[in-house]
Amino acid sequence: MTAPAPLLEVKDLKTHLHLRRGIVRAVDGISFEVHEGETLGLVGESGSGKTMTCLSILRLLPRHGGGRIDGSIKLDGAELTTLSEGEMAQDIRGQQVAMISQDPMTSLNPVFTVGDQVSGPFLYHKLVRTVREAWKKAAEGLRRVRIPSPEQRLKNYPHQFSGGMRQRVATAMAIACSPRLLIADEPTTALDVTIQVQMMALLKSIQRDSKVGIILITHDLSIVAGLCHRIAVMYAGRIVETGKVRDIYKNPAHPYTQALLEAIPHLGQKRERLAAIPGQPPSLLDPPAGCRFAPRCPKRMSICDEYPPATNIGDGHVVHCWLKAKQ
Amino acid sequence: MTAALELRNLTKHFDVRTERGRGVVRAVNDVNLVIPDGQTVALVGESGCGKTTIAKLVLMLEQPTGGAVMFEGRTLTDMSRRELKNYRRHVQAVFQDPYASLNPRLKVAKIISEPILAHDRPERAALRKRVLELLDIVGLPATAADLYPHEFSGGQRQRIAIARALALQPKVIILDEPISALDVSIRAQILNLLMDIQKQFGLTYLLIAHDLALVEHLSTQVAVIYLGSVVESGPSAEIFAAPKHPYTQALLNAVPRPDPDFVPVAAESFDDTGSALAPPGGCKFHPRCPHVMPVCKTTDPALTPLADGRRAACHLLTAEHSH
Repeated sequence: MTAPAPLLEVKDLKTHLHLRRGIVRAVDGISFEVHEGETLGLVGESGSGKTMTCLSILRLLPRHGGGRIDGSIKLDGAELTTLSEGEMAQDIRGQQVAMISQDPMTSLNPVFTVGDQVSGPFLYHKLVRTVREAWKKAAEGLRRVRIPSPEQRLKNYPHQFSGGMRQRVATAMAIACSPRLLIADEPTTALDVTIQVQMMALLKSIQRDSKVGIILITHDLSIVAGLCHRIAVMYAGRIVETGKVRDIYKNPAHPYTQALLEAIPHLGQKRERLAAIPGQPPSLLDPPAGCRFAPRCPKRMSICDEYPPATNIGDGHVVHCWLKAKQ
Repeated sequence: MTAALELRNLTKHFDVRTERGRGVVRAVNDVNLVIPDGQTVALVGESGCGKTTIAKLVLMLEQPTGGAVMFEGRTLTDMSRRELKNYRRHVQAVFQDPYASLNPRLKVAKIISEPILAHDRPERAALRKRVLELLDIVGLPATAADLYPHEFSGGQRQRIAIARALALQPKVIILDEPISALDVSIRAQILNLLMDIQKQFGLTYLLIAHDLALVEHLSTQVAVIYLGSVVESGPSAEIFAAPKHPYTQALLNAVPRPDPDFVPVAAESFDDTGSALAPPGGCKFHPRCPHVMPVCKTTDPALTPLADGRRAACHLLTAEHSH
């Protein structure tokens, strides 16, 4: 059986920010794939490079950050890194790759009605000719994300929506042009648990209907368990472990993944004491030369001063750790 | 078991102006809660349910509309200035965001000694010794004393905030989302520290958190709050094992777990949380409740003690009780 070509193929992506203080290696040589209709969970702490990875795909790096992107990003086989800014804006962003950001309070413009904003993508990408048609499409969009009485709600401003409803509006904007790939950056962190579940169910049903590929960025391993097909764990700008969701939870291979699962309290598994990870994540200005996790790793060896190679331990479960490296 | 703090019929209403004229936000309604000595009581609920308002009432950052906070058998509003100063010494707080709660212009030694200087007049050498002792308790080196907050990471800053809360040897510490602003790999360090100092100094914690897994881990008692009222309270082991109130059940079922086979249950209703400005009549949870009965729409159920020592406010449970 030949696997179908991936929807998104990232190879050896490096995003370095050239600042006055030095070079911040925000993303330092990562490779991954996302297939059609698949959800990839990109898990990591703040500063691990997960958001920078996605901003690199969209080429939305901070303007004054001196960001440089190296490596290859292919969407449906077409290289994105060589496209001009105009081509990215017109053909890719919003059209093929869309993003839902963490905080719907800041991602929506408070001085425009929701209708103005949700109809925007249709007009910008010239999918409709008149504003009236765009609003009609926008109402359909709100119906797709199950906002009740969409025609009336289009005339409201973002502050008249609750947090969960606002995130639905942001989702409606993101899926307006039926993108191939949806990047959701901590889409539920700002929401209450009860609303969080509804949001996750919504993403799932959108994916069922449209076969969209989703990259779900999160710091919380519990959230991705129910929603993702595969998971990539990032630490200090590198992916340390990738695999099917079941393998990652039942059989985590990298000491960092193991430690992450141990260090957080989980509902229904009360323990006397949590196994804390000592120290703190390294500075990306001057990361350790070898394995990035080595300074905090309980199983550290002398060979960890060299970066461990990728080792496939079965069924697409790949880990970067000397403990698993083939001798 | 004596009570460190007790909330009696605590009520806080805020007057607001809306498009339709004046309104009253019923942030906290008739809350009764005992916070026993040496235990950790957690307030749980969705955002806007009033848990932070309760903490503010306890810290006297807000004055109650009705009811009272009791400390060592005395009502706060009846206390003399001297007694209030004593109260403030014994009730300290650790806040969510250690980037906002530490003054960036003060050195760590000054931050930690401020509460001491507000209450006592120690000699310089004794003060310095106490600061270093506190730094040692929270696991920071003595050299930290002469640095500024920006020279520390989030986890270390939270340690400084904990040292400041410990400075006056308090009896009670209010923990308002103590780890949610920290990196995931740092959280366990701070949680373990909080549990260690509780044991070491016999502290009582009032924990406010939205992360139910954290609450289960840290607390001995839980009070589940919905739109300003306690709907279920009792020992956390029992409530987490078998929640009785439909709202508690909905909350617990919604929490994601690190298990690919676990499917969180989405609430059917797409209504968001009701508003404290215009709470629904009868049981406030009835528009979202899967077990709603006619009586729920007319009568607000009272918080009733159940056989296993917990209390819950639900017509389903009282009906069961009377049979």
